Amino acid sequence: MKVSLPYFRNRRYLRGIDWVVGSLHEDARKRVGVGAVSQAIIEVQGDLDVTTVRSTLDQISKRFPLIHGRFGRDIFNLAPYWKYPRRHHESIPLAVVEASSEHDADSLLAAHVNRPFESDRRHIRFMLVRTPDARTKLGLVFDHRFLDAYGAESFFRLMHEASQGCLDAVSPRIRVTEPAHLDHWQRRFASGKLLNRMLIDLQQKDVAALKMPEPVRGRGARFVHEAMTAEESSNAIGKAFSEIGVPVLLPCAAARAVSALRGIVPSPGLEGDQYLLFTTVNTRPPGDEWSSMFLNHFSFLLFSAPRETSDVPQLAGVLRDQLFSHMKDKVPDAMEDAAALGRIFPRPLVARVINSMFKGRMCSFYFACLKESGYPEKTFMGKDVVNLVHTPLAFAPPGLNLCMTWYADHFNLVLSYLDGTIDDQVARDVLKQFRSSLVQ
Amino acid sequence: MADAIALDEIERQLCTEIAAVRGNAGGAVAPESTLASLGIDSLKLVSLILVIEQKFGVNLMKKGLKPEDMKSVRTLAQAVQAGRAA
Repeated sequence: MKVSLPYFRNRRYLRGIDWVVGSLHEDARKRVGVGAVSQAIIEVQGDLDVTTVRSTLDQISKRFPLIHGRFGRDIFNLAPYWKYPRRHHESIPLAVVEASSEHDADSLLAAHVNRPFESDRRHIRFMLVRTPDARTKLGLVFDHRFLDAYGAESFFRLMHEASQGCLDAVSPRIRVTEPAHLDHWQRRFASGKLLNRMLIDLQQKDVAALKMPEPVRGRGARFVHEAMTAEESSNAIGKAFSEIGVPVLLPCAAARAVSALRGIVPSPGLEGDQYLLFTTVNTRPPGDEWSSMFLNHFSFLLFSAPRETSDVPQLAGVLRDQLFSHMKDKVPDAMEDAAALGRIFPRPLVARVINSMFKGRMCSFYFACLKESGYPEKTFMGKDVVNLVHTPLAFAPPGLNLCMTWYADHFNLVLSYLDGTIDDQVARDVLKQFRSSLVQ
Repeated sequence: MADAIALDEIERQLCTEIAAVRGNAGGAVAPESTLASLGIDSLKLVSLILVIEQKFGVNLMKKGLKPEDMKSVRTLAQAVQAGRAA
C-alpha cells in the first residue's frame, strides 16, 4: 500500500484538518450565518499609524496572493487544494474607528467578528479601534479555513516584520505549497479504525449539553475576557505539576473548566453521563512557525469527564490519564491521517457525519489551553504591545467555547457563547470562577 | 532493579528521542540543552515521558517527577537513571 498518487508540486493541497475545518465552516455558515471565524486582537500603547498599516497590508496582499484563494479540486486525483490567482491587487479591508470607551471598543470588535465575509475569496479583514486612553486595538478577523489561531498571531508578526522592511527576508520561509498526501493508505485506514473505535466508545454515554435557542440563525457570539497576571499564570502551571505529577496544565485547566461550567451545563432535558470536551492542540514542530503560517496546523483531542466526579483534583487525574492514553495512541496524528481520507467526500456530507455524532449535541463545550504564542515580540509596528487576545465564535451546537491563550508571560481567558444561551452576568461569573480556581 | 546504563548513554539516547519528538526540526540536541529552548511543550513532554517508559522502563510520573528534573536533557537523564536504580 505504498502507492502514492501523482499531484502538482506547486499547489497548496488541503490537509485533513483543513477539510474538517472547511466542513465545519460550511455548516456554521448555514446554521448560524457566519462560518468558522475568529478574531485576534493586538492592543498597543499609543496610536498605530493607519497609513503604515495600510501599506503593510498592501505589500503582504501582493506578496501572498493565496490570501485571496478558495477551495478547488483536482480533476485527475480529486484532491482538494487552495486555488488562488497568481496575481491579485485587491486590498485587505481595514476599517478605522474611534471608540468612546473601553466597553465601546470591545463592542465594536465583537460586532466586527460577528459580520460574515463579503465573498468566498475574503478570508481576513481588520478593524483598528482607537480608545480614549490613548491605546489602539487592531482586530484581525480570520476565516479558520485560511488561518488558525497561531497562524493569525504569526500574521501580526509578518505585518510587524514587513513594517520594519523585512518582508523580503521572511517571505521565502513561508510555505505556500503542500503535498497532496495521497500515500500511506494502510496507516491512514488504521487511523480511521482507531478513531472510529474511540468515537463509538465515547458515544456509549450521553453528552451533557446546553440547549440552543431558537432560531439559531442570525445570532451572534458574545464574549467575556479575563487577563491573568504573570504570577497567577506561573502559579497555575506550578499547581498542575503538584496536582497531577507532570507540568502539563491542560488536564487541570480542563477539570476546572468543567467545574466552572457545571452550574449552567446541562440544560434540562439535555442531561448526560459525561461532559465531552473538544480541545485543539498545536501540531507545528518547533522552528516551523513561519513555514506553517497559512491554513491549519492543529489537531483535536477529546476528553470525557464523568458527570458524577465533582472533585476537581480527582477529575484532573482522570483527564491526565486520558491525555496520556490519547498520546500513546497518537490520536492527534490519527485525526489528521483519517481526516485526509475524508477529503474525497463533499464538505456538507462530512459536516452531516460530524453533526450526527453524540445525538447531534456535538460536545459539551470547546476548550483550548494554548501555551504557545505565534507573536513573540514585545512591540508591534513601533508601539509597545499591551496584550493579544482571541475571540473565537462559538459553534452551535454546543454554543460555548472557553479558551486560554498565552501572550508574553500570562494567560488570557475568553468565554464565547451564542447570544441567548446564557446571561451575560452568568458568563462573567463563570469566567471569574474559572480564573480563581486556576490560581487558588 | 534494571541493568545499569551509563549516564552519557542515557543522555545520548534521550537526545535522539527528543529530536524525534521535535519532528527532527531545528538544530542539534545537546545534553546541556534546556527543554524550554528545545521547544518541548506540554504535549511533546507527554510524548517524551511515554517514550522514556517504553525505552528505559521507567514511569517518571509514578517515580515522582520534580521541577528540577525538567530543566535540561541532562537532569532528565539523571532522573531516568535514578528511576532505573530504584
